[in-house]
Amino acid sequence: MKTLSRRRFLRGTMKGAAIGVGLPFLDSMLNDSGKAFAATGQRIPVRFGTWIWGCGMIPELWVPKQTGYNYTMPEHLKPVEGYRDKLALLSGFDVKLDGVPNKPHVTGCFGLRTGIPIPDRQVKAPTFDVLIADAIADTRFRSVELSTTGMQRSYSYRDAGSPNPSEVNPLALYHRLFGEGFQDPNQASFTPDPRYMAQQSVLSAVQEERRALMAKVGAADRQRLDEYFTSLRELEQKLALQLQPPAPVENFVMPEPPEVKPVDAEMANVIENHKIMASLLARALQCNQTKVFNVLFSDTTSNLRRPGVSSTHHTLTHEEPIDRELGYQREVAWFAEQSMFAWRDFLDALDSIPEGDGTLLDNCLVLAHSDCSLAHAHAVEGIPVMIAGNAGGRIKTGFHLAGNADPVTRVGLTVQQAMGLNVETWGGLSMATNRTINQLLV
Amino acid sequence: MDLRKSRFGGLNFGRQTAQSTVGYLTRASAIAVIVILNLAGCSAEFGTSDRNGVSALGEPPPVGGPPLVRRLTESQYRATIADIFGPDVPIVARFGRELRADNMIAIGTSKAGISPFSLEQYDNAAAGIVDFIFAPENRARFMTCEPDADSDFDEQCARTTIEHYGSKLFRRPLREEQIARYLEQARRSTELVADYYVGLGLALRGLLSAPEFLFRIEEVDEQNPDSLSAFSKAERLSFFLTNSAPDDALLAAAESGALNTAEGLEQQVERLMSSSKFEQALRAFFADMLEFDLFEDLTKDAQLYPAFSPVVALDAQEQTLKTIVHHLVDQQGDYRDLFTLRETFLTRALGIVYQLPVPTRNGWEQTVFPEDSEYAGIQSHLSFLALHSHPGRSSPSLRGKAIREVFLCQEVPDPPANVVFNALVDTGGNTMPTARDRLHAHNSEPACAGCHKIMDPPGYALENYDGVGTWRDTENGAVIDASGNLDGRPFSSPLEFGEALRDHPETGKCVAERMYRFAVGRDIVWYEREYMDYLIEAFKAREYKVPSLMRDIAMSENFFTIDSDAVRYEGASL
Amino acid sequence: MKKSKAATLSIIAAMYAVAIHAEPRFMQGDAAGFVVSDIKYALGPDASETGACPAGMSKNVVEIYIEEHGIVRGEGETEGDFNRRVRRDSRIYSQSPEGKNYCSFPELAQPDPHFKTVQRSDIKVRGINIDGRASLNDFLDAQGNRGIDNQFFRVVGCSRSFQSEGLSNHFVTTMKTGAWGITIQLSGLDDIKNDNEVKVVIAANADPIQLSAARDALPYATYARSQDPRFRAETTARLVDGVLTSDPVDMRFHKVVNSMILERPLQQARVVATLTEEGLLNGYLAGYTPVEALYDFVYGYRSGKTSEGELSPLRERSANGTAFVLGHTCNGGYYALKEHADGLPDPETGLFTAISTQYEFSAIPAFIVDVETKSLNSELTPGRLL
Repeated sequence: MKTLSRRRFLRGTMKGAAIGVGLPFLDSMLNDSGKAFAATGQRIPVRFGTWIWGCGMIPELWVPKQTGYNYTMPEHLKPVEGYRDKLALLSGFDVKLDGVPNKPHVTGCFGLRTGIPIPDRQVKAPTFDVLIADAIADTRFRSVELSTTGMQRSYSYRDAGSPNPSEVNPLALYHRLFGEGFQDPNQASFTPDPRYMAQQSVLSAVQEERRALMAKVGAADRQRLDEYFTSLRELEQKLALQLQPPAPVENFVMPEPPEVKPVDAEMANVIENHKIMASLLARALQCNQTKVFNVLFSDTTSNLRRPGVSSTHHTLTHEEPIDRELGYQREVAWFAEQSMFAWRDFLDALDSIPEGDGTLLDNCLVLAHSDCSLAHAHAVEGIPVMIAGNAGGRIKTGFHLAGNADPVTRVGLTVQQAMGLNVETWGGLSMATNRTINQLLV
Repeated sequence: MDLRKSRFGGLNFGRQTAQSTVGYLTRASAIAVIVILNLAGCSAEFGTSDRNGVSALGEPPPVGGPPLVRRLTESQYRATIADIFGPDVPIVARFGRELRADNMIAIGTSKAGISPFSLEQYDNAAAGIVDFIFAPENRARFMTCEPDADSDFDEQCARTTIEHYGSKLFRRPLREEQIARYLEQARRSTELVADYYVGLGLALRGLLSAPEFLFRIEEVDEQNPDSLSAFSKAERLSFFLTNSAPDDALLAAAESGALNTAEGLEQQVERLMSSSKFEQALRAFFADMLEFDLFEDLTKDAQLYPAFSPVVALDAQEQTLKTIVHHLVDQQGDYRDLFTLRETFLTRALGIVYQLPVPTRNGWEQTVFPEDSEYAGIQSHLSFLALHSHPGRSSPSLRGKAIREVFLCQEVPDPPANVVFNALVDTGGNTMPTARDRLHAHNSEPACAGCHKIMDPPGYALENYDGVGTWRDTENGAVIDASGNLDGRPFSSPLEFGEALRDHPETGKCVAERMYRFAVGRDIVWYEREYMDYLIEAFKAREYKVPSLMRDIAMSENFFTIDSDAVRYEGASL
Repeated sequence: MKKSKAATLSIIAAMYAVAIHAEPRFMQGDAAGFVVSDIKYALGPDASETGACPAGMSKNVVEIYIEEHGIVRGEGETEGDFNRRVRRDSRIYSQSPEGKNYCSFPELAQPDPHFKTVQRSDIKVRGINIDGRASLNDFLDAQGNRGIDNQFFRVVGCSRSFQSEGLSNHFVTTMKTGAWGITIQLSGLDDIKNDNEVKVVIAANADPIQLSAARDALPYATYARSQDPRFRAETTARLVDGVLTSDPVDMRFHKVVNSMILERPLQQARVVATLTEEGLLNGYLAGYTPVEALYDFVYGYRSGKTSEGELSPLRERSANGTAFVLGHTCNGGYYALKEHADGLPDPETGLFTAISTQYEFSAIPAFIVDVETKSLNSELTPGRLL
C-alpha cells in the first residue's frame, strides 16, 4: 500500500554533495484523489497507441449528423456509446493526393501515419508512432505491435525498409511480454531528474528580479507584472511535482498464459483473439513494459471472413452490389460494424484496469483509424479517425469534429503535440501543416 | 450631418483636430479647441526647426505620453527569435489571442498580461529553442567558445554566452547582478546534471521566460526624464520599423549615444527602413488595422459558401497584405490609391471565390483585377468582405461599420440593449428581397436610424459582394442597388464608392493617426492633437506615402518624449 | 433631392448595372470553359426491369467451373478449403494449358458461352443516334424511335456489375480524387442560345478537380490542359436553341484503376449537350471505342502503366481479380466486344474494329488555361503521365 509522505524530502547524491529539496507547495497541488498528479501526467505515465481497422466505414452509419458535444451516436458507433465522454470522433479529414496515384489501401494509411501521400510502401518519413516512441519511450519495449487476424503486417515504420513487425500469436505475445525478461516495475528505483531541480532553481532566479521591476513601473503595469510573477510561481510548483517518484503500479496481477485457439481471419476467432491480445497488452501497459503500441485489428485489405462465405471483407467491398433499399453494401456494413464492436472490446480492455484516480484508458491517447472511408472507391478523403482516452488530462474528448476536407496531418501533428513532442509543423508536400486541432488540446 | 442637432448629444463622432471642419465638432468641444489653441499659442514655437522642411507647420513642441509596459505579440516574439537564433529554430507554443484595446492590438499590448497557461507555453517554446541551439550538431553555430570538458562548468564561456544572448533578448546590456544571477544558475545546473550545455541551456531558458524579454518595459533617461532612455528608444524604434527587437547595430548606436543625436537617429531610421524587415512592420500594422485576428472566429455556412475554406481565409489575408506591401513599399504608392487599386495577388483557391482565372497552380500569381471584373481596392478584397459578414449572408451594417471605423476612424456606438432583429433574419422573403430593403425598415425606426444612417450606406455600396465576397448582380431575384452617398460624395457602384473612399478627407488622416498609435502603443493624448496635425500635413505633402509617414514619426521629437506628469501621476499611488 | 427623382435615378443606375453585365457570368468574352464534374457510361435500364437477360447474367470462372462440373462441397470439407479448391481448379477457365492467362491473352481463349449479352433491341437506351441511321441493332430512344447506337450496352447489359447497383459505372470516383479529368473550352461563342460556328477544344485535365468540403465540384476553378497533344481534340460545333452539337473528332482520356493508368480513346466523338444560362453543360459524349483499347480499360488492363510510364506489374492480377469480383470472364468480354463491334471497319478485312460507346456527363464553369503545371507532390511521382 503506498504511503506517500507529503513532506518527504528527497535525498540524493550528486557529485558528492548531498542535496535536499523541500517541497513546500506539495499540499496545495495534491488533492485527495490524486487528480493533480494525473493532470501533469508525470507520476502516471501517458501511453500512446494506434488501432487500425481495414476498409473504412459506411458514412451514413458512422458519421454523426451533428458536430460538437451533443451529437446523436450513429448506428455503427452504438457499441461505444458508453465511452462517449472519452471519445473524440474526427470525420472529414483527408489525405491530400494532389496528383499522386492512390495505391488502394496503402496511400491512405501511410499518408495518415507518415504525413506524406506515397504511391507505394516506400515510406519517406517515420510513422508518427515511431516519432512519439522515440520521444517518450523509456521502457523495456520501445513499442509493441500486434495483429489479430494471423496476418504478419504492420503500419509502424521507421523508414522504407524497417517496419516494426507485429506479434500475431497470443501465446507468443504472452511469452514476449511476461516471460523471460519481464521487469517488475515496483522494484525499480527512482532517481529524480536533476534537470527539473535545475529548472526550478532558474525560475526562482527569475523571480528575484521582481522587486526591481515593480519599483520601475506604474500602478496599472504593476498589476500585470504581478500576474506574470504569479504565473511564474505556478510554473515552479508544477516542476516540483516532477521531482516526485512515479506512482507505484497497483493492482497488478500477473496474467496466465492464454489458451491455444485457432488464429485465422474468421470473424469469431478474430474477435476472440483480439480480446485476448488486448487484455495482455493492457496488462503490459499497466506495468510499464511499454508506453507505445500499435494494433492491427484487420489489415487495410481486410481478410476478415464470415463462416460459410468465401469472399473476404475486402473482396466484398468490390464485388457486393449496393443494396437498393439501404443505399449501401449490406455485407460490407456487417464487417464495418463488427470492427466497431472490436473497438469497444479494446476500450474495455484498457478501461478495466484501475489506475490512479481512474483507469488505464484515462492515461492513454489511442488513435483509431482506417485506411480509407469508402472502401469500394478506395477513397482517402474523410478517413474515419477516433481518439480515445484522456492522455493523463492533456486532451479533451466527448465531441464530434468535422474536418471539412482539412488535411489529416492536422491529427498527426496534434497527437504528437499532446504527447509532448516539440513539433510545430508535420507532414510534407501537399499535406504539410502547422494547424493544431485546438479543440483536442486542453 | 450636423451633430449638434443629433439626438445623441454626447456622440463623439469623428476625430477632433484643430483643423477639422466645424460639422464634426460639438459646440462644447469646439470651444475647448479654441481655448487650447490660444493657450498653445502662448508658449508654442510654431514653424521652428522643422527637420524635414516639408510641413509649413513644423513639429509642435513635443508632448509624449507615459512610459509603457508592452507584451510582445506573437509575430514580434517569432521575429525576435528568428533574428537572434536564425529562422530555422522551431517555436512550439500555443500563443494566446492578442488583446485588442481601443480597436488596436498595438494598444492592447500595453494592457495584456501573461496567464499561467501562457507562461507555460512560453516556457515550452523556450525549451524547444534551447534544445535546438544546444543540440550537438547545432551548437557550434551559436557558441563562440567551448568548455574544457562538456561535463564541467566554464565560467568564462558561460558568462560570454549569457551576456551575449541576454543583452539581445533583454534589448539592453544586463546589469552585473543580473549576469551574476544567471551565471550562478548556470553553474548550479551544470553541477546538478553534470553537463555544461544542459546547465547553460537552462539559464538561457530562464532568460527566455523572463519578464524583461517577454515585456518591453520602457524606461526614462536618467539624465533627462522627459525622454526615453537610449535603449528604450532603440526598442521603440526597432519594433516600430521592423516589428522585431533591436539588432546589434541599433544596440550599439544606443550604447554609444548616437541614437540621442539627430544624425545618429536618422542613420538608424534609414537603415531599418531599407532593410528587408521593414515589410514585416507594415504587415504587422495592417494586420492590426484590418483586424485579421478576427478571422479566428470566422465561420461560413458550408452549404451556402462551399468555396470558402480555412485555406481561402489564410490566402485572403495574405493577398491583402501582399497587395498593400507591394503598393506602399515596392511602388512607393499613394496610400489612398489602395481603395481603387486593381493590382493584386491571387491563388487558385482565391480564384474560385473571386471567379477569376489563376494560371499558377501552387503559390501566388501576381496579377490585376480585370477592367470588367468590378473588383478594385482593398475594400473589395475577400479579407474585408468575408470578415465583415455573417456566416450565411453579407451585412451592410457590419461592413459599413468597418468602413467607418477602420478606414475613416469614425466611431460607431453599440446598438441599444432593447433592439429587435426580426425583420433582418428572413433572407428568403419576397417583399424585402435585398438587404437594403430589409434594413430600410429599420432606418425609419428612430432608435436605430441615428447610427444606421451613418453605418449602412457604405455597406450598401458593397452589397454586390456576397457573404464571402463573390460578385452578384441580384439578391433573391431583385437587382442590387449599390448607389449611395459617402458624407456628401455620391456613388452608384462599388468602384465609384472606392473612389469616394479614396477622396474622403478622413482617409489619410485616419491611417496617420492609427500609425502613430501603433508606434507608441497607446491612444493619442489630448495635447498631441497639434502633433497629429503636423504629421497629417506632412503625410499629405508627401503624397500620402506611408513609409514617409513612418519616417516622420520616427524622426519626430514627440516619438521619444515621455510626459513626466503622467509618470508622476501614476507614481503617486506607490 | 426629391424622393421620387432619387428613386428614378436609382432604378436607372440599377438597370445600367445590369446592362454592363448582360453577358452571363460564366462567359469570358466569346469563350467559356468547363470542367467535367460527373461522367458515366450511358446505358439502358437494369435487366431486372426489362427482362432482357432471359438466359441469366454473366458468370466468373469459379461460377462457371462449379456449374459446368457440378462441384459441391465435400463431407467434412471446410468452407475455406472448398473455396481454395474451386479457386484453384477453376483455373482451367482462366488460363491456357501452357499457363498463359486469358485476361492478358484473350485471343488464346474460346468465346465464353456464359458471357451473356443483350439479345433484344426493343429497349429504350440512353444516348444519341451517332451515325444518323436506324439500323436493326440500334436501340430505341426515349420516344421509342430506333436509332440509338450503343453496342457497348449490348455487351455489358447482362453483366451484374453494370447494373445500376453494380460498381462498374462509378469510375468518376477516381476523377474526383484528381487522378484524371476532362476540360472543355468553347470559343467564338457569340450567343449562348444560338451560334452556328463555335470552336470546341476537349482536353484531358492536368490538374486535380477542386471539390468543396462536401465533395462537390466547385465552379470557377482554374485548370491547366494536358500538354500532351494526344489528349487534346479540337473541333467545331453548332449551338441551336441551347443545344450544342459538335462535329466528329478523335478524343482520348485517362482511366485509372488500382493505380494503373490506362487510356480511354473515343473515335469520331461527338458532344451533344445543353448549355444553361448558369453555364452548366449536360449531355452525351458519343463515339466509337477501338475494341482492343476498350478491352484493355474494362477487362484486361494489358496496357496499364505505372506513373513512371512503365508497364505495371499489377496488370494480370488486377484483371483476374476484377473479373472474379465483378462476375464475368475476360475472354467473354473480349469476344463479345468483337462480335458487337459496329464502327471503324478495317480497310482490308472490312471487319468492324470499334464499338459504339456513349458517356453521359455534366460539366460546370471553369477557367481553362494552357500552361504546364506541376503538383507539389511531383517528386513522389517522377515520371507522372497525367
